[in-house]
Amino acid sequence: MLYLLKLEFLKINNYRPFIVMMILYLILLPVSLLVAKSLPEELAAIFSTKEFYTFPNVWRYLGYIGNWLGFFFLGFMGLLSVTMEFSNKTLRQNIITGLSRKEYFFAKLIFITAISLIGTFYYFLSGTLIGLFHANPYYMDVYTQGLMFYISSYFLMSFAYMSLGLFFGMLVRRTGFAVFTFLAYSVFLERVIRGIHMYYIESRTALFYPVNAMSDLTIIPFPNIANTVISEMDFNPFLTSGEAIITVTIYTLIFLFVVYRLMMKQDL
Amino acid sequence: MIVLQTKELTKRYDSIKAVNQLSLQVEEGQILGILGPNGSGKTTFLGIVLDIIKKDSGDYNWFEGKNGRNVRKKLGALLETPNFYPNKNAQDNLKIIAHIKKVKNPRINELLEITNLAHRKKSPFRDYSLGMKQRLGIAGAMIGNPDVLIFDEPTNGLDPQGIAEIRETIVNIGKQGKTIIMASHILDEVEKVCTHVSIIKNGNHLISGSVGSIISDDVQVEIAATNMDGLKNIFSNDSRISKLEEKEGKLVLNINSEFPTIEINQMAYNNAIVLTHLVVKAKSLESEFLEIVSKN
Repeated sequence: MLYLLKLEFLKINNYRPFIVMMILYLILLPVSLLVAKSLPEELAAIFSTKEFYTFPNVWRYLGYIGNWLGFFFLGFMGLLSVTMEFSNKTLRQNIITGLSRKEYFFAKLIFITAISLIGTFYYFLSGTLIGLFHANPYYMDVYTQGLMFYISSYFLMSFAYMSLGLFFGMLVRRTGFAVFTFLAYSVFLERVIRGIHMYYIESRTALFYPVNAMSDLTIIPFPNIANTVISEMDFNPFLTSGEAIITVTIYTLIFLFVVYRLMMKQDL
Repeated sequence: MIVLQTKELTKRYDSIKAVNQLSLQVEEGQILGILGPNGSGKTTFLGIVLDIIKKDSGDYNWFEGKNGRNVRKKLGALLETPNFYPNKNAQDNLKIIAHIKKVKNPRINELLEITNLAHRKKSPFRDYSLGMKQRLGIAGAMIGNPDVLIFDEPTNGLDPQGIAEIRETIVNIGKQGKTIIMASHILDEVEKVCTHVSIIKNGNHLISGSVGSIISDDVQVEIAATNMDGLKNIFSNDSRISKLEEKEGKLVLNINSEFPTIEINQMAYNNAIVLTHLVVKAKSLESEFLEIVSKN
């Protein structure tokens, strides 16, 4: 396992797009939340820093930001990690050199697991620090309240976005086109399909699509808004945490299975 | 020991059979040239035995199946263009190869010295010239000192000096008793470098054997005279001539070695024809190759 992880590390340790994305992700995660400090006075009355920065709210807000960042940065990193190897033909070369196709698949799997773990640990660290600075007074039981749940959802979300990226990268192969397909599907196509689904079968089944489920993994942090939306509709337009976790897990397994099959069966 | 054996390997691309029931055998210590025109299936064949292209049917095994399934770590291969991480320098790229092959002490500097890249080992791969890339590819194939090396068109796109260097390198590797499989469309190259040759065309295996046996003992003699028809009559029914053809105003006789040229001259003279031209040509692999390929 370490052998494969080290191999992946050797590949990206001076690959600039990758490093830039990782750094941006790490900077933007806490900074996006902290800019709320500079909100105008009127808004600050509604969303006081207390709302944003204290336990357990900080987990939700930071998770919500992490979800957006995860979609872009982690998704792209997953995608790039294979398309760069297709465009440089180094995937081919890795196999010629002696890596088995299975080892190659597991190298990528271990790689996205490692990056997701780093992201999740960073989420935990930023959340803890921001919370500690703004907790007054500080209670241990408030800090740990729901902590395991937030952290595991965050990890699942990161891992799922990276699997989605890996899936599009493996399927499309060419970087530019893969990025386009990834965005077109996630931002546009899935919504259109869900719209059509909603039009013909008006039910909650339209919520169980991969990207929608991934975005519902982190609970919408504005409870007031959420409740208004819910009360105006006949049903809850968001997946519950349990539903989201199960849906995302199933989709992620499917994506990884497809990646595995493509890796084992295709000409490279 | 049999290094590589393939049984009726077949690969189709749509309706085209890129490799058609190809059965080959490579034995230890051979320098085998796989010779064929462009698009004859050489690279597809090597791609299949290196597991980057999936076969449709047939089978192959390395080292008589004795070294387990993941045998590629013990081979060194350079297929088509060398592929490396473009933003990494020569040293780091070779480190990745050594890591994949689990080679503890890869002697990277030594290999860069041999392939004449030591002075550029810190420059990123993307800045390399074609010849340097090719040489790095060869250095990469040599990591871990594998007993079997595979080169696909190793001199493609190189300048004459580069071609000579690479051929010399390959011959030197062969002298160390290593097995080499080299695909090429350049006859001259195979003739100079290889001990054995297999000729393929349109994915079909035409002939295999040692370079010496493929190049038959036949000698070609070119003759000409003012009276070409008369000349033709003299030699058309001689059993010692395996083939006779008229080419560019000359008569080309394929004869075996028991038919000395002095006798040819004598026979013409006896029939009142004086030869204006007589050249003895040892048959090259090139003419043999063209003959084999055109027959099939």
